[in-house]
Amino acid sequence: MVRRLGAAYNWFDERTAIRSLLRKGLYEAVPVRGAWFYTLGSATLVLILLQLITGIFLTLLYVPSVTEAWASLNYLKAHDAFGSIVRGIHLWSAYILLFVIGLHMVRTFFSGSYKRPRELNWVTGVGLFLLVLVMAITGAFLPWDQAAYWTAVVVTNVPSYTPVIGPFLRALWRGGDFVGPITLSRSFGIHVWLIPAILFPLIGAHLALLRKHGEFGSYINYRGAYRSREGVDVPPAPVQRPIEPPYPAVPTDELWAAPLETEDFYPHQTFKDGVISAALVVLVFILAVAIGAPLEAIADPSTTSYTPVPEWFFLPLDELLVLVPQQLIPLVLVLPAGGVLLLLALPFIDRGPERNPFERPAVMVPGAFAVLFVVILTLLGSGRLFNL
Amino acid sequence: MAHRDPRRLSRRQFAVLGTQLAGAVVAVLLGIPIVGFLISPLFRREQVVWREVGDIARVPDAEPTKFDVSFPQQAWTQVDIKAAVYVVKRNGNTRVFSNVCSHMQCPVRWETTLGQFLCPCHGGLYDMDGTNVGGPPPKPLPQFVHRIDGTTLFVQNRFTEEI
Amino acid sequence: MSALLAIIGPALHVLATQLPPQAPQGRNIVGAQVAIGSLFSLHILIAGLVSGAGELGPAIEFLGYMRQRRTYDRLAHGLGRFITLYFSVSSTIAILLITVLLVGFWGHFWTTIVTIGFWPLLIEAWTFVLQVSLAYLWYYTWEPLRSFKGVHMAIGGLLAIASFLQVYMIDVIASYMLTPTNPQNPIRLALNPTSYPLTVHRTIGNLAYIGFAFGGFCAIRYLRAKTAEDKRFYDWAGSFGLLWGVSMTLLQPVVGYSYAKEIQLHAYGSWYKMMFGTLSPVFLWQITLLGIMFLTATIYFARRLRTDGARGAGLLRAMSVGMVLTTLLAAQPYHLGLTYDAVAAAGLNRPFWEGGLINPLGSMIPWKVLALMFYTLIAIAAVVWYLRGLPGVVWGTARRGEQRILVLMAVLTMAMIVTMGFIRENGRGPFLISGEMTIQGQQNVQTAQPTPAPQSSP
Repeated sequence: MVRRLGAAYNWFDERTAIRSLLRKGLYEAVPVRGAWFYTLGSATLVLILLQLITGIFLTLLYVPSVTEAWASLNYLKAHDAFGSIVRGIHLWSAYILLFVIGLHMVRTFFSGSYKRPRELNWVTGVGLFLLVLVMAITGAFLPWDQAAYWTAVVVTNVPSYTPVIGPFLRALWRGGDFVGPITLSRSFGIHVWLIPAILFPLIGAHLALLRKHGEFGSYINYRGAYRSREGVDVPPAPVQRPIEPPYPAVPTDELWAAPLETEDFYPHQTFKDGVISAALVVLVFILAVAIGAPLEAIADPSTTSYTPVPEWFFLPLDELLVLVPQQLIPLVLVLPAGGVLLLLALPFIDRGPERNPFERPAVMVPGAFAVLFVVILTLLGSGRLFNL
Repeated sequence: MAHRDPRRLSRRQFAVLGTQLAGAVVAVLLGIPIVGFLISPLFRREQVVWREVGDIARVPDAEPTKFDVSFPQQAWTQVDIKAAVYVVKRNGNTRVFSNVCSHMQCPVRWETTLGQFLCPCHGGLYDMDGTNVGGPPPKPLPQFVHRIDGTTLFVQNRFTEEI
Repeated sequence: MSALLAIIGPALHVLATQLPPQAPQGRNIVGAQVAIGSLFSLHILIAGLVSGAGELGPAIEFLGYMRQRRTYDRLAHGLGRFITLYFSVSSTIAILLITVLLVGFWGHFWTTIVTIGFWPLLIEAWTFVLQVSLAYLWYYTWEPLRSFKGVHMAIGGLLAIASFLQVYMIDVIASYMLTPTNPQNPIRLALNPTSYPLTVHRTIGNLAYIGFAFGGFCAIRYLRAKTAEDKRFYDWAGSFGLLWGVSMTLLQPVVGYSYAKEIQLHAYGSWYKMMFGTLSPVFLWQITLLGIMFLTATIYFARRLRTDGARGAGLLRAMSVGMVLTTLLAAQPYHLGLTYDAVAAAGLNRPFWEGGLINPLGSMIPWKVLALMFYTLIAIAAVVWYLRGLPGVVWGTARRGEQRILVLMAVLTMAMIVTMGFIRENGRGPFLISGEMTIQGQQNVQTAQPTPAPQSSP
């Protein structure tokens, strides 16, 4: 039996080269130290796959129409306990996905993994982050309850403050002057087809690049890490810092070529990845069962009692909408757009060979500012909403 | 090796050009209808209708009163969409406001304690005349195109000014 | 506030229900206000430092461990020493404030606030106990735990958490006094409209303040330093303090603006007083002072880099010019009179070119908002450029001028803190608790109580 299976495998390998592909994928040498931090990427992947699977099954029931969308989900809520769990998993894994992507990005930023030759890993990663954000935004429109409708109104209205072409952009997204049936159809198409059709190939590229250059890890995996351990903070001459003899005076790219201590991706790293991912999936499941996905009353544009509350990941942007005065509203577009451009440009701005986050304050400090501003805006926004 | 006339295409160059041309034909023939499809709603005229709001004779002076009205929805949907109409009578003037905030189009409400229209999303404030008096709104509260027959109010599904 | 409070807090709570609705009133209200105002200013000037040091010290220790720099360790140790020395001063003033002034002059207010804020005050008092224990533990186990840095840093982490919690709890009370909510619901109380903005604003403010303060202190020590090692250390520590202070301060315009917005929505009277009323000149001075602080910092950055010929000094000087222009924009008064109402009453609320007393360039929206934005952006750019230039700096070579700037910066920060405290505490007037209790009567406005019969003077 085993021999037959082996023969079948050989037959298959002869036609597909599956063996060498698996070997490349599974027996990659990855850094040992700090490997629990390097599980965030695979956790992101698992959560995105969770989105894909639950999303596909939700389309078996959901109807993207202003008269039917809410009714179909209301039916799900009232008559289908398991379907409600599927929808709950879709929602909660999206929330946790956004959070984990954020952590993954912060980790990568902190460890300087985006540096040569991994610039494009970072750029594709930023692209994936943006696509996931678009997924989150369009997904939030679909239930067509009050929360969804007003989120759609506010979010599609933000681009209207673009100079010159603003109203055109808004109408393009809405498919008209106001949010209506075409808005829902477009958002649905973007959510289930357009973005996934770009997202999944880009994930492939991201992973292919990861395998091409290998997992970087962080500075603790390299010889250069110990450079400053005995360091004295008084430089003998300007520019050059004192470096202990075995290490080069100026850290070079070569120093960061290969990690000191590695082990096989499978099963050592996959074990850690599996533990973290499984824990997250369990968390998602618990939240999906215990809290589930809420569905408010059906969308009503004539309401004068409903208070729209943004999704939590919109809070910083929503707080900006509150703070930016009337003459300066385009800032609400300029600031996030500038942030995205800076993110994309990061590996081309910060090109020095130094990877130790504590030794490159000129990059870490502005990064910390960016994170702090987002956190502060979120805090202030949640405080404001709590007291409405 | 004989030198070729540089003005004459080689077999290879011809093939390269041909491939590019073929690609361009496909891109253009696909692109035109798709882009047209995307932007077509922008050129479609919204259907403008008159709808009766109701009798406004009993609307008290200087007290914004809310009415509901139904308008046909965009495109193919047969079910009407509800809209809120705020009627404000003041100094003999009657104004007919919508509940759409000029900032981010959130639903504005009349707050009796403030004596102002409040947008709960971002704290926009309008006074009884619809003037934006606080918070981020850049323009006054939009007004419906309307007419009054006797004491019956009719509104159109469009505003006096673009928002 | 004090360890004493932890013990007498519950007792006071019981007392509060027993006391007659009218506590004995001080007769000299103005005198009491002056006494309490100046003591509170002194208290906050020292307590802010202690609290900031309790949070920043452990952070610096951690940074020093990660970078293996002995100077960070020395600096953190110095901050620990500062806490152990000044904790007692701060708490003495706090106890004096509570036992003598608050209970004595504002008895009714005190019993009311203890009843309303029983839980925050109790937690505050116990975190105070925790903070003082941890502070001494953290400082005195420095050498014994040298080989167990992880354990020592964990103690530091707890100290930072205790310091933060303490500030948060007292901010719950302070923000409640401005924007009261339903006091029966402890979560509503803890998350009242201005509690988030105030807590974030104050925590960051304390962190900035300790940076500027030890920057100034190290500048003085640098000028008196004898050995080369001390010179190197104090030069570096002064620069670090200023850099840290600026990095924290540049977060403040966003938080402060948001704070003002919450006040506008939930305590309009106070907001109006601050923007257009009697407090508007003080508010204008505050926003100008902020610009002066950023400007001073930028000049220090430029000079410190130029002293050692490091790169970036020229661009930093250009930034300081930008900061001057921004400060000039921010310093524009809107109404050229004490209050807007006074200008309007005189019929002069027209632009000055039409013969009025209004300067449109001084309006909050959009000009002051723009100025605040430019403050933040230029300050970020200055910090980044200074950091880029730092590898070219040789510590221990700073000149006197730079050290004077550091001292000036510490003084400006203190002026800022006193100004802000003044605005905050006077913004509520004539209320002690907005809309509920006035300063004069110390009695609830909503639940009317008979005014006490005037006593015959002794």
